[in-house]
Order: sequence, then C-alpha cells, then structure tokens
Amino acid sequence: VTRFVLRRILAAIPIGLIVTLGVFALVFAMPGDPLRELAGDKPIPPSVLAAKRDQFHLNAPFLIQYLLSMKDIFTGHFGTTFSGADIADQLRLRIPVTLKLATTGLFFQWIAGLLFGLYAGFRRNGIIDRMLLLATLVVLAIPGLVLYFAGQYVFGVDLKWLPVSGIADGWPMSYLLPAVCIGITGFAGLARLTRTSIVDAAGADFVKTARAKGLGEQRILWRHVLPNALLPVVTLMGIDFAGIFGGAVLAESIFNLPGLGQFMFQAIKLKEGGVVVLLSTLAFLMFILINLVVDIIYGAIDPRVRNG
Amino acid sequence: VTLGLALVLSACGGNSGNGGGASGGAKSEVIAISADPLDYINPLNDNSSPGIQVAQAMFAPLVTTDPNTGKTVNVLAESVTPDKTSQTWTIKLKPGNTFQNGQPLTAKDYVDSWNLTAEGSNAWKNNGFFSKVEGYDALNPQTPDGATPKPTAVKTLSGLKLIDDLTFSVKLKVPFSQFGLTLQYTGIAPLPEEVRKNPDAYKRKPIGNGPYKLAGDWKAGDDIKLVKWDGYKGPNAPEADAVTFRFFPNGDTAYNEFLAGTVDFVSVPSTKKKSFKTDAPDGWMTSTSSGANYFVFPSWDPRFKSTKLRHAFSEAIDRTAFANLVGLATPSNGLVSPDMDGYRADACKYCTFDVAKAKQLLQEAGGFSGPLNIYYNTSSATGQIYAEALGNMLRQNLGLDVKYVGKQSSEISALADSRKLDGMRFSGWGHDYPSIEDYLTPMFKSNGDANFAGYSNPALDKLLAEGDAQPDQEQAIKIYQQVEDLALEDMPLIPLYSAQGAYLHSAKIAPRNSKFTGVQPLYSTFK
Repeated sequence: VTRFVLRRILAAIPIGLIVTLGVFALVFAMPGDPLRELAGDKPIPPSVLAAKRDQFHLNAPFLIQYLLSMKDIFTGHFGTTFSGADIADQLRLRIPVTLKLATTGLFFQWIAGLLFGLYAGFRRNGIIDRMLLLATLVVLAIPGLVLYFAGQYVFGVDLKWLPVSGIADGWPMSYLLPAVCIGITGFAGLARLTRTSIVDAAGADFVKTARAKGLGEQRILWRHVLPNALLPVVTLMGIDFAGIFGGAVLAESIFNLPGLGQFMFQAIKLKEGGVVVLLSTLAFLMFILINLVVDIIYGAIDPRVRNG
Repeated sequence: VTLGLALVLSACGGNSGNGGGASGGAKSEVIAISADPLDYINPLNDNSSPGIQVAQAMFAPLVTTDPNTGKTVNVLAESVTPDKTSQTWTIKLKPGNTFQNGQPLTAKDYVDSWNLTAEGSNAWKNNGFFSKVEGYDALNPQTPDGATPKPTAVKTLSGLKLIDDLTFSVKLKVPFSQFGLTLQYTGIAPLPEEVRKNPDAYKRKPIGNGPYKLAGDWKAGDDIKLVKWDGYKGPNAPEADAVTFRFFPNGDTAYNEFLAGTVDFVSVPSTKKKSFKTDAPDGWMTSTSSGANYFVFPSWDPRFKSTKLRHAFSEAIDRTAFANLVGLATPSNGLVSPDMDGYRADACKYCTFDVAKAKQLLQEAGGFSGPLNIYYNTSSATGQIYAEALGNMLRQNLGLDVKYVGKQSSEISALADSRKLDGMRFSGWGHDYPSIEDYLTPMFKSNGDANFAGYSNPALDKLLAEGDAQPDQEQAIKIYQQVEDLALEDMPLIPLYSAQGAYLHSAKIAPRNSKFTGVQPLYSTFK
C-alpha cells in the first residue's frame, strides 16, 4: 500500500504543476487591470499604481509571476492580498469555516442521498421510489440561490430558529441552515446514482446465482448487491468531498460565512493570480488526498481493484 | 415634576433593555455594511466608503459640515485661514486633544502623517489628496512603465511648514479656494508617532483620536466593535455609547439580518428598491442624493465632435422615464448633485425631452454615421437594462442604429484611458467634499482625475482657476456656475439622473438625515 501511495503522490506532482499553471494562466488572461478593479471609481495616482504593481510583481512576465507565487506558497510567505489582508490570517480564519461547512453539508447530503437511493433501489417502481424520483427532479430544478434565500428567510428571519447569517454562534448553530441547504441541493445526484447502481447490481448474474444457491434475501442484499453497487457511489462521494473543499461560493456568500469559496471569489474578482493559485493548490492537494482515500476504500470493498 | 420623574424612570428602564441585536448598553447600535470585511484600519491608506465610514468613528476630522446649515465648522481645528490668494493655508489646532494612546495631538503629527502618505513609494491610497500641495511631484517622480519605483531622497512636502506645536501651514501649487472644505475628509486623519514608525504592526489595532475606540481585539473575520472613548474632548461626538459594524459581502443577506432584527441599520440593496417600504413601513428613509450619473461621449471619436449632435442626443432622452426605470432617482437638469450649495435646478438648457428639436439638431449636425455602440458593465445587475433603455430612446427618437457591448467596468475604463473606446458609456460621480467644484474639476478640467470623456477646453480651465483663486465663497460659487454652464454648452457628458440612497433603521434609532451630509447612522439619536 505504501508503494501505491508513493506512486500516486509522485504522479500528482506534474499534474499539480499543470493545473496550477493553467489556473494562473486563466487569471492572467482575464481582461482588465487588477489594481484598477481595486480602486473602484476613484482615481489612483500613477506613483501609487507603480509602487503597487511593483509590490505584487505585476510587471514581471507571466512565467516569473507564476514562479514567484509558487515560491511564496512553498516557503510559506503568503504576504498580503491586493487589498491589504494578511493571507495567512485569512487561511487560519477560512479553512476551519470551510471544513465545518463542508463536512456538515456533506453529512446531510450523504445521509439523504444514501437513504433515499438505497430505499428506492431496493423497492424500485414502488410509490415511494416514484415520489423520490420526482422529488429529486424538483430539487435538481430549483436554483441554489432561491432555496438558500428561502431557507434563510423562513428559518432565520421569520421563525428565528437559526441565525440568519454569520459564524457568531459557532458550530453547529451557524452552520446548520447552510449545511441543510447544501444537503438538499446536492443529495439528488447521489440518490439517483445509488438507486441506479443498486438496480443494476440487483439484476446482475451473480445475484441470480446467489439466489439460485438459496441464499436469503437479506444476505444477498448486504453481501452481494451493496458492495458492488457502492463502487460508483463512493467515487461520487469522494469527488463531492474534494469539490466542496474548493468552497461553497453561493452558500458562503448568502449565509455570510467567511470560507475559502468567498476568498476565491474575491481573488478572481480582483484577478489576484497568487491567491487563486494558492487556493487551487490547496484544493488540488485535498483532491489528491481524497482520491487516495477513495482508492483505498475501493480496495477494501472490492478485491478486484486492490492494488499491490 | 411627575412628568420629569416619569421621563427619568423610563430612561432608566431603557438601560436594561437589550434593544435589537446590539450588545452593550441602551445606546448601542449595529450598523450593517454591505461590503467585504475591512482588512485593516488606517484612514490614510483607505479611500473605500466602508473604510472611511469606520474611520469616521475612530478619527476626528479637522473640520466638518454642519448638518443643519451646510456650513463648514471646526472640529479639531481652532482655525483654518487662507492667505489673500487662497494659496497658503494656516491650520491651527485646538489645544488639549490627544490620541487614544494618551499622546498629545500636535501639528507635527499632521505634517509627518501627511508626508508619509504623500510619498508615492508607500502606495497609500489617499496619496492623491496631497497632489495639490507644493512639493508633491518630488515625492512622486514618474516611474517608467514596469520599473521599480525607488524611495525618493526627499521625504517631506516642501509645502508643509511646522509653525509651532499646534500650528502648521500648507502651501498649494496653485491657489485653491475650496481647500478648507477638503479638510473634512477623514482620509487625512493623523496617526501617532508609534504607528507612523511601523504602520503594518497597527493594521488591526489602530490608535485613533476620535470619539470611539476598538472595544477589544479585532481579528480577521470579526465584526468591528467600538466603544466610546472617554478621552475625546472635541465637538461633534455621536450619541451612541457603543457601535458595531457588521460586514456583509451580500447586500440581500444584510437586508434579511435587518428584517430578523439583528442589525439596526442597513442600506437597501438594488433588489429591494420596490419592496423596502412595505418590508419596514416605520423604519425606512431616503437620502436627498448620492451623487450624479451621466452618459459619456468619447471626445476622441470624431463622430461625436459636433456640439449640436451631443445636444441632440441629450434632448432625445426621456429622463423622467429613465429615472422611473432606475427607481429612487431624480432626472438631472445639470451637472452637479442636487444636495450641493450652488446647485441650480434649471442649469441645463439642453436637457428637456424634445424629439422634434433633437431631430432637427441632429440634422443640422449632419447626422450620425455608423452604429452607435453603448458600453455597459456586465458585473452590474442593471447595466444592460439601462443601456437598452437609453439605446431604445436614441433609436426610436433619432433613428440611430444602436449596438450594445457588455464588458467588465475595469475593461471599459482601460479602453477609455487608452482612447480606444468607440462608443458611449455610463459614469457616476459623488463628491469627496461638499462643493460644486468637486464635480467640475474632476470631470471637466483637462486631465481631471475623473475626466471620463477625455474633454478639454482651455476656456473652462481658465474659468475654473479663477474660481479656485477666489477667496470669497459666494463669488467662487458664481464662477463655478459659469463653469457648469460652459460644460453644459460643450456637453462632453449627458446628465441623466441623481440617485437617492434608501436605508432601513430599527425603531430605537433615528439616523441623521441631512441634505448636506446625507444619511449617517453613526450620528443616530436614540429613543
């Protein structure tokens, strides 16, 4: 297993370089002058602009700017954003917020997705299955924006059960509402995948064989159908988890949670290549890590994909 | 006597109430600011409106505008005196004021803080304020494109002279009769010596000289909690004992917080312009104006060269209909905002909606060739709607072929700066100090800071300089009005509307709402 992990990590390095370079190039190619964006309507004197451009290496060629950003990341000298925020401070504030939001959100998403998916898969074409299918369709069709504001209004403003926004009440109170919203908007995909997987697995030959051998339905279900059906489900859950670490931009914005998503959003708005690359690198590392974990879980579920 | 006792009792009762979501005593308020949280507090390095709003609570200005009369009154200054030509200004401070670290506030603090800000290589945002002061250029040499700006050998503005502990003088490059008004800007508040030595160390623990100080530690992501500072001896202190600023990058979220009763003051986001009066029937207010908005011609494009054509465009616009579309807006009939001393409601002769005359003027101008491009800001929710509304008026009333181009606003200004913008765009301006001059100089003086149109008229520059050199304010305003007339004759930009701000406040506070100073939640009276 150690060799497998090492191999994966080594393979990740070039991919990481390509990804971060690509992201940096995209930010670099965005139209408009970052410092002008920062200034708003009021003019900035040329001498101040020149000093700022120099401070953030904006005059350097593209590749040099990228390498300087990477150097800052790996030496831990994060510096400040264009607007003067201490980046290390921001990470200390935002990583815990994003982790709390992501894990709580995924908790609801996975519970709902798996329960509905499993139930619907086992009792397919029943009334509940049809209703769930319809419900997932409805959820998929509701824009997050509408759901989040509606949730905020009903439970925060009207009923006052939960805080409207912010992290002042800490975990779990401040995170419950946005997490449930994330769960609702996200569970449909997982539920549908789980259902389909189970339906597929239940129709497979080895299930018929098991049944022919005279095994009980419960045993067939738990020992034969589920492990096989869960493979794609675990993959999707892994992708979900890694993805959400990039930040839930919309939920963070509407519920005023200072997470990585908002940081990324601000950085892109101001065309701050360095910050965008830093956050992409973080997200990428998370992605690699979670992929590794998923692969190891795969091995545990299914001996066929176990790696030497 | 009974009535008096009752009042005292009810006042005591008020003390125990928790009132809204604010913390602290009865006279505390929570102000929502719809913006990203501040990253530091340093008035000299902040020109954003959230930063200035917070700085106003912690730093007192030299002078301020009286909300009732609109006149300039002294705060920390004992006197502000121009010489005969308005070129050299002597500023005398009141004795006995200190910083929040206990150090006395002296003239040297002003001079040194201003020098620090004026030094271009420090890259502080209010550097531009000092560009009018003699010696600015020596501290801000031209740096060739892409070169590293070097710290200058000169560290002080030659125009700043320390006279004694409490007095200093400012010599400007050229006479400027409005300079006294500009001193009310919070962005020129002084920093004490220990902060000047290492400003970065005080980013999150500012030392002010105003009515409020930080209530405790202020870390990234925290609200800004302020309490009254006992040491403040100046006038103009607000009534609140404690003020909390909460930041909301999303304006709609701030609005919902207000509806939930957790904040006392919020500005109405554009999405709620239609509903705020019913959402808070007893707690809304609107300001007289929050700046003026224009439709800008590119002076570098020869197709727009004819004055008659520009007037034709102006008269083809139904401003009343447009203002209705914008909502909470007044159609403009001049170039300055209606809350200015010297504003004339009938300044513009070419702003009445008259299709027949517009057609005739366009014909006399020889028509317009090619499609008319209208640029709009894609990151504004209303950019395209406004562009199409104006475009439709010009298309229908003048028969123009109109095209719409959506871009980021920074991209549009970059195109305009390099004189490559081949069409019209929107712009807005709000004054930094209450003088009609602060509309005319930035937008119409050759190379003005906000000369959106790239306009230049030597006659107008000369007239402006005359106003700037006129020490009598009444006389100066008359000259500035002539400048406005001239600008309207040339019409490098079309006046459209002045927008009003809309705000909600809780029942326990009544925010100050003055024609001259706008809506100021910091200066709320408590019920």
